[in-house]
Amino acid sequence: MVKAENLSFSYNGLPPFILDDINLEIKDGEYVSVMGENGCGKTTLMKLILKFIKPTGGKIICSAKRIGYVPQRNDFSNSGFPITVYEALNSYRKLLKIKDKNEVVKNLELVGMTDFAGALMGTLSGGQSQKVLIARAIMGEPDLLVLDEPSTGVDINSQKEIYGFLKKINKEKGITVVSVEHNLEAAVSNSTQIYHLAGGKGHLCTPEQYAKEFLKSK
Amino acid sequence: MLDYSFMQNAIVVCVFISILCPCIGIFLVLRRYSMIGDTLSHASLAGVAMGLMVNQNPVLGAFVFTSICGALIEFLRTYFKKYTDLILSIVLSLSVGIAITIISSGKIHANADSFMFGSILTVTQLDMFMVIGLSLLSVLALIFLYNQMLYIAYDEEAAKIAGVKVRLINYVFSILVASAVSVSIRIVGVLVLSSMIALPVATALQLGKGFKATLVFSIVFSMVDIMLGLFLSYYLNVAPGGFTALVCVAVLILVLIFKRFLRARN
Repeated sequence: MVKAENLSFSYNGLPPFILDDINLEIKDGEYVSVMGENGCGKTTLMKLILKFIKPTGGKIICSAKRIGYVPQRNDFSNSGFPITVYEALNSYRKLLKIKDKNEVVKNLELVGMTDFAGALMGTLSGGQSQKVLIARAIMGEPDLLVLDEPSTGVDINSQKEIYGFLKKINKEKGITVVSVEHNLEAAVSNSTQIYHLAGGKGHLCTPEQYAKEFLKSK
Repeated sequence: MLDYSFMQNAIVVCVFISILCPCIGIFLVLRRYSMIGDTLSHASLAGVAMGLMVNQNPVLGAFVFTSICGALIEFLRTYFKKYTDLILSIVLSLSVGIAITIISSGKIHANADSFMFGSILTVTQLDMFMVIGLSLLSVLALIFLYNQMLYIAYDEEAAKIAGVKVRLINYVFSILVASAVSVSIRIVGVLVLSSMIALPVATALQLGKGFKATLVFSIVFSMVDIMLGLFLSYYLNVAPGGFTALVCVAVLILVLIFKRFLRARN
């Protein structure tokens, strides 16, 4: 699904690289959490997967036909924008050229947000807006779902619901999930693999291995 | 008053401006680009001056030069990613420089002042048809690109993932802004045009509605503002542009007071 070969990146194109000679392969149907300290390049790697930025060196291939993306809530601070939940999803449906109008209601039902269809996005709580963004991201059943720190600014109960839902769609629908994480518990319990980034380098490991590496580093 | 043909032309032009300006303005305001309207209205003055200098229709001159400036702003955005407000200063300097140089050179054999302050008397039938044509084209483009432009304003990254050609649509949008600016300057005038673009939207935003409802209310407020401005300026014998700007501010203040009153009551 995602393959990086000798991938390097720095914002000015010169060393030192945020990501330095990275090799990574994420297979179809996997749930991979990208973990590491702040500033280690997690979000940069995600932007490279989504083709928001171009690699400085090497290449990254993504074979997904349709990608769903859930931005980090702190980055997505467009809370004053006058748009209802229904409008946000329905316009997105039209951009994806999905003809079935029920897709919006169906996806809101999946994340338990049907009652909020008429609410303004800016009036929702952290957990509620994250659920709506997930409902938008899974529109048209993407083969790859990319999330940037989905639990940021979300209360514990909503976190449980969100991670439960992500695990469910990964298992039942086979949607590949790549999630930039700072939530250790969620990453270890949900992921099939964890990509551990540190000092510009990274490696894939099992959640158990990562937990050991994490404890050792503390 | 309605018996005068210049007034009939002015009313038709005002109806189209009051629909077009908020349709463009809502995207500019929500993308925090409302000052682009101000920059491009100054750019249109340079276009008017160039049009008059070569004996062409000044509205057409304004449209062409403002479109070029709109595309220039979009182009410069790549080079000044962190200082986008600087781009407006650059384009503003270029436009005002050209306008003042041409006007002061004495090569224009017509009055450019009416474009600065807005005038009802100078709206010709040709202007009216040009305004109708450009407005219809712009509104059609807006209807066609509605979802793309909404998402570029709301969440540009999501728009890119959905396959929206953000860069291309930004260029198209800059031409739409140029169109709105150039058709409006006859009546509203260069100096207060940005108030027609931003204030009806600012007023509608106070109602706390969704996007479509905010757009509809922006058009309603825009119609109220411009028609009141037009009729009152006729009776007071003042330039319609300046008075329309005053009406825009007055309506905004009234809505703010009404909102506060409702909140206190609840």
